Amino acid sequence: MSQSLGRWRNAGYGSTLVGILIVIVFLFPVFWMVSTSLKSPAAIFATPPALIPTPLVLDAYRDAVAGDPAVVRAIGTSLVISVGAMLLTLVLAAPAAYGLAQLRLPGGALVLLLLLITQLLPSIVIAGPLFVLFTRLHLVSSYQALILADTTLTLPFAVIVLRPFFLSVPRDLEAAALVDGATRWGSFFRITLPLVRAGLVTVAAFSFLFAWGEFVFALSLTTSEDFQPVTVALNRLIGQYGTQWNSLMAISTTVALPIIAVFAGLQRFIVGGLTTGATRE
Amino acid sequence: MAGTAVSPTRDSPMIRSAAALRPLRRLRLADYLFLLPALLFVGATMLYPVYANLRMSLYDVSVMTFLSGNAPFVGFTNYQKLASDPAFLHALALSLLFTVGSLLFQFTIGFALALFFNRPFPGNGALRALLLLAWLLPTVVSGSLFRWMLDGDYGVLNFALVRLGLLSDGRYWLIDPGTALAGTILANVWVGIPFNMALLLAGLQGIPTVLYEAARVDGASSWQQFRSLTLPLMRPVALSVLLLGLIYTFKVFDLIYVMTKGGPVDATTTLPIYTYKLTFEFFRFGDGAAAATLLLLGLVVVALVYLWASRREEMA
Repeated sequence: MSQSLGRWRNAGYGSTLVGILIVIVFLFPVFWMVSTSLKSPAAIFATPPALIPTPLVLDAYRDAVAGDPAVVRAIGTSLVISVGAMLLTLVLAAPAAYGLAQLRLPGGALVLLLLLITQLLPSIVIAGPLFVLFTRLHLVSSYQALILADTTLTLPFAVIVLRPFFLSVPRDLEAAALVDGATRWGSFFRITLPLVRAGLVTVAAFSFLFAWGEFVFALSLTTSEDFQPVTVALNRLIGQYGTQWNSLMAISTTVALPIIAVFAGLQRFIVGGLTTGATRE
Repeated sequence: MAGTAVSPTRDSPMIRSAAALRPLRRLRLADYLFLLPALLFVGATMLYPVYANLRMSLYDVSVMTFLSGNAPFVGFTNYQKLASDPAFLHALALSLLFTVGSLLFQFTIGFALALFFNRPFPGNGALRALLLLAWLLPTVVSGSLFRWMLDGDYGVLNFALVRLGLLSDGRYWLIDPGTALAGTILANVWVGIPFNMALLLAGLQGIPTVLYEAARVDGASSWQQFRSLTLPLMRPVALSVLLLGLIYTFKVFDLIYVMTKGGPVDATTTLPIYTYKLTFEFFRFGDGAAAATLLLLGLVVVALVYLWASRREEMA
């Protein structure tokens, strides 16, 4: 008995228990969001508040999410913008990261420094000038405006995350392909890109997550509700719903859902991407 | 641009590498085409706005002259106005408070968690990854969530604090000017902890285990190991995490905006919020641009310190 307890301790299950406790405490707000969204209006104001609502009520989702055309449309808008920003980011970042890594161009270090600095640009600093620019181009309140603006957030990050992936591709592979008559772009598409698939997935996931949650550009570059993404819709409803916390939490949970889904599916890419993208290499 | 150097002798490694080098050099100029789209994009949507911002900060741009483009040039007048504007100085002070308060807790709690998760145990990776969820949630979501938890009447925080006997009566955290900033800091600390933890953990894992083994052989206690091995070796990583945190925290806009819109009165109007209000609410575009430029300038200085510090660590 004591022997098995010792083995149990050696394997570190005690730490596992503490770890689980930490996660439960730390993620309580997320649990509380979901729990509130499943409550009836009366249950929200109950003291003491119930941890798990009985009965579970889906009314808030039916009325405030599915039943509100503005919210449904905003979700669609967010999807278009997030997928658009993700694709634009991949198209721009992959060749750039490749150029910086595989080709070792003179001036590459300078470009990298430039990207590092642009990564630090606060959105509100460029939101004003972008508003002027997009007004002149008649792009205010359009998908394109937000796709372009969101890509300013994702592109520097994407290049910085992708470059190490390209660096790890042996240069001989490329050289061999070139000798065999492939063009630079041909070998880029056929040889190198497939080898950095993991990096592309990381960048795609992050671009989608960033664009989905983006708020500053969405707030300042859309004047018409028709093109407002779901983050702006949620912010507008905070004032409108007042104390209907179950409705607000139902919308919040819905907005969080794609993030949780992408995270659950691509967790290992995201954890790696965070540490590479945030630091230098 | 085909590299046409296909020769019957290409199996000889010498010739092969020489032949491979030639197209490499010939393609140099064309190679920049890989960088061009991204550079054009950065130029048009990031560098140009920074320039336009700088320019606008030197003109008296108002609603009238915003689109017509004939605003009068006023030099540094906008900056002088800001320097003597109590609202600007207040915003600056609040930003510093928000940043220092957030970093203090994010960093220490993040460090403690990193130390905990640095030990191997079953389920470590999965549990640690779960924490990152707080960082990945859209800020509007975490903002509205904390609004609800900090609610004065039915918020769960008040309930817990009263039940634990720490408060006799619930507080209106975000409505009371005295506690609103603390409320936004609390939310921001929650969002930032996993980020700090992940980066610090990466640093801890970079410390060679041999060092600890040697220390143990020499009879060092775990506290001694922490004091004289972990802490000094983590210094460079800790420094860069703090500087990155400083940059990311100082520019926080959305979380505060969603939670309080800068209010009550101006109790949470930090510099980014003030900049936004100047431009998009008061339509004082020139002043807004000047405030944005100052915000940017501050961040660039921190970024340069960061680059300088990490370069120095690399050389050492």
